[in-house]
Amino acid sequence: MNDHVSRLLAAFAYPLSTGRRTFAAGLVAVGTYCLLTLSTFPTYSMQLLGADIGYLDEAVVALTGNMYRTTGALGLSLVVAYAVTTGVALTAAFGRARVAGRTGARGLSSVVPGLLASGCASCGAGVLGLLGFAGALATLPFQGNLLRLAGLCLLLVYLSRLGDPRQCAVTPRTGTE
Amino acid sequence: MNQPDSVSTRRAVLASVGTFAAGGGVVYAGSQLGSESPSQSSSSSDGPSVHRSSETTGFGIDLTGHPILGSADATLDMYYWSDYQCPFCRRFEAETLPKLIENHIGTGTVRLVYIQYPYLGQGSLTAAVMDRCVWRQVRDDAPERYRDWHSTLFDEQGEKGSGWASRDSLLAITGGVDGVNADAVDSCMQNNRGEIESSIATDVDRARELGIQGSPAFIFYNRDTDSDGRLIGAQPYEQFDAKIADVRNA
Repeated sequence: MNDHVSRLLAAFAYPLSTGRRTFAAGLVAVGTYCLLTLSTFPTYSMQLLGADIGYLDEAVVALTGNMYRTTGALGLSLVVAYAVTTGVALTAAFGRARVAGRTGARGLSSVVPGLLASGCASCGAGVLGLLGFAGALATLPFQGNLLRLAGLCLLLVYLSRLGDPRQCAVTPRTGTE
Repeated sequence: MNQPDSVSTRRAVLASVGTFAAGGGVVYAGSQLGSESPSQSSSSSDGPSVHRSSETTGFGIDLTGHPILGSADATLDMYYWSDYQCPFCRRFEAETLPKLIENHIGTGTVRLVYIQYPYLGQGSLTAAVMDRCVWRQVRDDAPERYRDWHSTLFDEQGEKGSGWASRDSLLAITGGVDGVNADAVDSCMQNNRGEIESSIATDVDRARELGIQGSPAFIFYNRDTDSDGRLIGAQPYEQFDAKIADVRNA
């Protein structure tokens, strides 16, 4: 258990190890937050941004207020946490790929779980709307917060297994030989 | 390759503090945005009149039971689907509707048709039924009171699921609106709820047939040329202005 926690902490610390990584993680986090926020009301977002991409800030700000009113502080906190964790996970996943990338499949296998876990953020907030089930999240238990929490847990599990992507995890031996 | 533990720990702590600070900032901003005062809502009984109609428009909207704001002879219909628990509808009422009333509805070019689209839970449906009962009560003698009641409800909107849209709470709000008798509204709800819910369900089905999936939603219909256009959500006034011009000139 302690091992998982220390690997999780190491994964969160990794983006702060250089300025470029911090910037990349921040950029991904902001992008993810915008995407998640816009996907809470996709028809509105598409129509407004289709009219003028300059409305991006207006749409994000308006939908942030809307999200707070419909899902509460907890819902908004989960989305923010999801965005930040996605930034960390993707930065760490690509860091891992750079370290192990030259080994082909091994590099890929370390990135794909991160991408899948991050991609599931959309499942929590956007895909239902995109599929035409607007209001579906409102009818889900806790206004979809459970779904968001599940996605966040998925990311945290991934990070707790990955740890600092520059380090190789040493699995303690168990059993008998 | 290995980092010293103390450095990693410091970075982890820094990351945690940064994350909490950023997250807290966004949530705080969200709470401030969500609690903006609706001081600009169009609650005045001055301005364009509210009236009734039993016609079915060329677009296929049955106006029976729906309050209509603006001139009966306006060229453009603006069908407005809303939910009293929808924060975006509140935003539209506070920021955009007053300008639309001033520049388009008050001048006689647009008439706005209020249609209930309750999809955010039981409170939304209760408010929608009450909306119909209030309209039934005031439509003959004091139809402008409907606007006051409608605006007051959005002004008093609370968080979804907080209980603000319970029957008792809504009746208490109704009791504070001049010209609307809360006891009569309560009586109407008790006697006619089933029939009204059925009528609202028909409206919701019609909205879904039109592809409406959220609120507020608007369809503009040019009664002369039979052309139409739509806007979804609480978009800036400029978008409404542009859409109205498009449909008028179509």
